[in-house]
Amino acid sequence: MTDTVRVTIQRSDPASRSRFEVERFAPMAVLDLLLAIQREQDSTIGFRYSCRVGMCGTCTLRLDGRPVLACQTFLPPERDAVRLDPLGGLPVVRDLIVDTAPFFAEWARVTPYLIPHDGLDAPAQIRPDAPERQVIDPALDCITCGACYAGCGVADYRRDFIGPAALNRAMVLIADSRDARRGERLRAVTGDDGAWRCRYIHACTAVCPKGLDPAGAIRHLRRWRVEDLDAD
Amino acid sequence: MLTDRPPVETLETDVAVIGSGGAGLMCVLHLARAAPDLRVAVVSKGVIGKSGCTRMVQGGYNAVLDPADSFDLHFRDTLEGGGYLNDQELAWTLVNDAPRVIRELETSVGCFFDRRPDGRIHQKAFAGQSFDRTVHRGDLTGIEIMGRLRDQLFRIGPRELEDVRALDLVRDARGEVAGVTLLDVRTGRFALLRARVVVVATGGSATMYRISAPAREKTGDGMAMCWRAGLPFRDMEMLQFHPTGLLAGRSRLTGAVLEEGLRGAGAYLFNAAGERFMARYDAERMERSTRDVVARASYLEIMAGRGTAGGGVLIDISHLGVEEVERRFPGMVERTRLIGRDLARGPVEVSPTAHFQMGGVIIDPDCQTVLPGLLVAGEDAGGTHGANRLGGNGVAESTVYGARAGDRAALLARERPLGEPDPAEVAASVERALSPRARDEGASPFAITRELKDLMWQDCGVVRSREGLLRARDGLARLAEQLEQVAAPGPAEANYAWQEALDVANQLTVAALIVESALVREESRGAHFRDDFPARDDARWLRTIVLERGADGAPRIDLRPVALTRLAPAATVAGGQT
Repeated sequence: MTDTVRVTIQRSDPASRSRFEVERFAPMAVLDLLLAIQREQDSTIGFRYSCRVGMCGTCTLRLDGRPVLACQTFLPPERDAVRLDPLGGLPVVRDLIVDTAPFFAEWARVTPYLIPHDGLDAPAQIRPDAPERQVIDPALDCITCGACYAGCGVADYRRDFIGPAALNRAMVLIADSRDARRGERLRAVTGDDGAWRCRYIHACTAVCPKGLDPAGAIRHLRRWRVEDLDAD
Repeated sequence: MLTDRPPVETLETDVAVIGSGGAGLMCVLHLARAAPDLRVAVVSKGVIGKSGCTRMVQGGYNAVLDPADSFDLHFRDTLEGGGYLNDQELAWTLVNDAPRVIRELETSVGCFFDRRPDGRIHQKAFAGQSFDRTVHRGDLTGIEIMGRLRDQLFRIGPRELEDVRALDLVRDARGEVAGVTLLDVRTGRFALLRARVVVVATGGSATMYRISAPAREKTGDGMAMCWRAGLPFRDMEMLQFHPTGLLAGRSRLTGAVLEEGLRGAGAYLFNAAGERFMARYDAERMERSTRDVVARASYLEIMAGRGTAGGGVLIDISHLGVEEVERRFPGMVERTRLIGRDLARGPVEVSPTAHFQMGGVIIDPDCQTVLPGLLVAGEDAGGTHGANRLGGNGVAESTVYGARAGDRAALLARERPLGEPDPAEVAASVERALSPRARDEGASPFAITRELKDLMWQDCGVVRSREGLLRARDGLARLAEQLEQVAAPGPAEANYAWQEALDVANQLTVAALIVESALVREESRGAHFRDDFPARDDARWLRTIVLERGADGAPRIDLRPVALTRLAPAATVAGGQT
């Protein structure tokens, strides 16, 4: 293990310093590198974080090209140099901070909130082993960090793809028996800009820091579309 | 610098909600339901719905749902846990509203909490409670609650002021709330947001401790602005340390909570000698004792030289078996594996970590304060939890009182005119915020924060004394002087050094209130432990310490007997017993 880590950061202002050498400690997350730089070397460096326990999804950036959460990515002992860039495909606010508005515009497009059936006035009695929960539960802990959206080759190519995170959310709502809009939702997310646009590159699933499987969610959507609607 | 002052844009709304955690977003939800025609603006220093601590809730949410449980039991647990210092009307309201809010979260917000095998909501065991009443979604409950509340904003469509810091409450000529001054973090520009009603819900300031649990944003902004506006505070000496904060060396991860449910499920705590030391402090409840007792016990073990090399004690739940621990606490297991430990297979080093502020602004059960037009909800308010909060009552408080604030704000906004903000107050607020920009060289705001964290940890922490608290008072005065020379050079846009300077200014304000209250309370109760007054003394100290800003800016102290309106301690404790 080396005593220091060399860090290269893409800055918005090309005149800003972009190379740093940081004293190593262990365990050390990418977020710790950034905090050390901000506190000891360059207080003007722009990056974002809040909870630092992988629950808020605001510290997403690219580590050597790959989307990660800075707080959940710890440096292996053999790593002595890293490169940090802002998430791809989103406008940069400053340095490593991106504007996530395009991501949330897609999220909003799937009507991301529950529209309950009339008369749902008590918590629904649904067994944990019910088929719908088998589909939903593993897909539920999305923290809208944008890693999958930024990592998706299709979303990156043309910015009108709903994208993996929003499709995963749509899948959860479509599977939820408490929701009244299954048919409408399914139609809305299986058009040209939705589930059929996916090319199963599986980058979304590979980069998800919460271990979710948006590509699997998209597969569900396609199957349901065929079974539910095209059978009508 | 007066001539350089940038222009202040004026915005207008009916209700301004400061903060976008559980309290803020529940408030928006209830405003939209009660009065959909009202204009609502949400102001958040960070990302909306992704800042603050409701998002970080792990264990869960206390609510009476089971017919075998009762409001009386939950209420008694809350008061026993709180050392009977609670505002009993606030605690009773919490207990009564919690099941209703759980139902609302499930049936209209869209949350889905874990179920029992028969499909009804599962409730797990938490420490300090006489019934298993903690509703949860796995061991990372906050993601589900905040994710779904954030989704609701896409339905409601309030004005979202994201990355915008609220600076100060401003009043009109009558002395009533007329709005709030803002600083846009991204652009560095100021604004004045006029409003009929302002709801403060920014959260507490436990991040002022070296080892602490909360999110970055939690720097007591709401409390500090309320203090500057002259509002009375209560219970400020009561700062909760969670007993099981993960130790990860110098990583920012240090202090992150390993959830309460571990102790509820039967985890053991060991000192470095392998003793289950809780036997010495609470032989009956052992590890399932309340947070104050367990945190203090751990701290005393560490101070007595029975701690680990990393300065902690050990939590061990591996006796439940790898599979069981992985199934019930996947988030916690993953968190320990990140740093090369494994909760499912062996002991993990933990330390008490500053977690939650019981004290805060004095409110009534409708979140109203003495300042007309100002409501306060969630951790910024004091009284619900008394001297110590039960695990699972925190998110209950944020959402219950956020909802109540929304209901009340909807009524108030109909009857209150839009006040004309006093231009002198607006100018003074902007001037204060610009101070760190006035010089290119000076003290580093990050260095002041670091010193504050060390100072509070050492001299106003888990165990306190008059001597240490006097040291803390002097230290805070010294840091306040340094702050006057703080410098945040560079661009005004997204300048986090500048933001840090404003954060630490608020923290210093709140820290002084904690220290002054802690000096006054010459007994030990709940989270407040004085080694020079180690006993609880109900005869003298069943009283609330109320602080108000005097004419000179220093706190004026008032002691008020606790109104035991619903329940008195079974046996009053006086001297000799802790």
